[in-house]
Amino acid sequence: MDITAKQIGSTTVVSIVGSVDALTAEQVTRFMNAELGKGNKQIVGDLSQVDFISSAGLRAILVTLKDSRQQGGDLRLAAAQTGVEKVLKMSGFTNILKTYPTVDEAVASFGA
Amino acid sequence: MTETHQIARAAERESLAGFRDLIESACKQHPAVDDAIRYDLKLAVDEACTNIIAHGYAGMNPGSIILTLELDERQVVMTITDFGHAFEPSEAPMPDVAAGLEDQPTGGFGLFLIYQTMDEVRYETDEDGNRLTLVKRLRPLETA
Repeated sequence: MDITAKQIGSTTVVSIVGSVDALTAEQVTRFMNAELGKGNKQIVGDLSQVDFISSAGLRAILVTLKDSRQQGGDLRLAAAQTGVEKVLKMSGFTNILKTYPTVDEAVASFGA
Repeated sequence: MTETHQIARAAERESLAGFRDLIESACKQHPAVDDAIRYDLKLAVDEACTNIIAHGYAGMNPGSIILTLELDERQVVMTITDFGHAFEPSEAPMPDVAAGLEDQPTGGFGLFLIYQTMDEVRYETDEDGNRLTLVKRLRPLETA
């Protein structure tokens, strides 16, 4: 799994490539935490290249979501593939965070 | 016709991708297993193996996990065998997916996702190890 961050205005787009399972979820949590530590609290998670996510990945999302909101920011997700989208829905995550069909729309939602 | 595939891997997080890869390659040619079903199968096995890795061999020397996949026209049966501590899935707590953010637990989703995606979940334990059987039906049952 690879993970990169790109700054667009005041929003940080974090793109994840590969599978987010119990092995790789920790990397996501640490990476997101490092971005929050730099003051980048408006985060878009670009899931367009994530082919698999398990509950370990959901936990990483939840931790980042709570931390970003505590800092007055937010984590919003974009471009999830069908399988990943289904997991987010099944677990109720689509009720507690905002998801967008594209990265551009998610970035625009922050008013960047 | 039933097709059987089996792999054994060490009970460690590095093995998870290998279990998912077996499902991917075994099901790819199967006409009744679409992308959505293939994802469900990979998710259920990943969650079950993650639980075994985290809890099944706690305090013991890490052992192995054996995944057996049996495919036919009607169903996919996945059997996950381990030799660690026994675990009763029906007694484990389930998350409240309707809860708000503050009440959202950070664990417990794995088993919930297994029950959400599989049609049948069975667990047996004896001197030959612990066996979790996950069944996904490929066609709806015919109504009588």
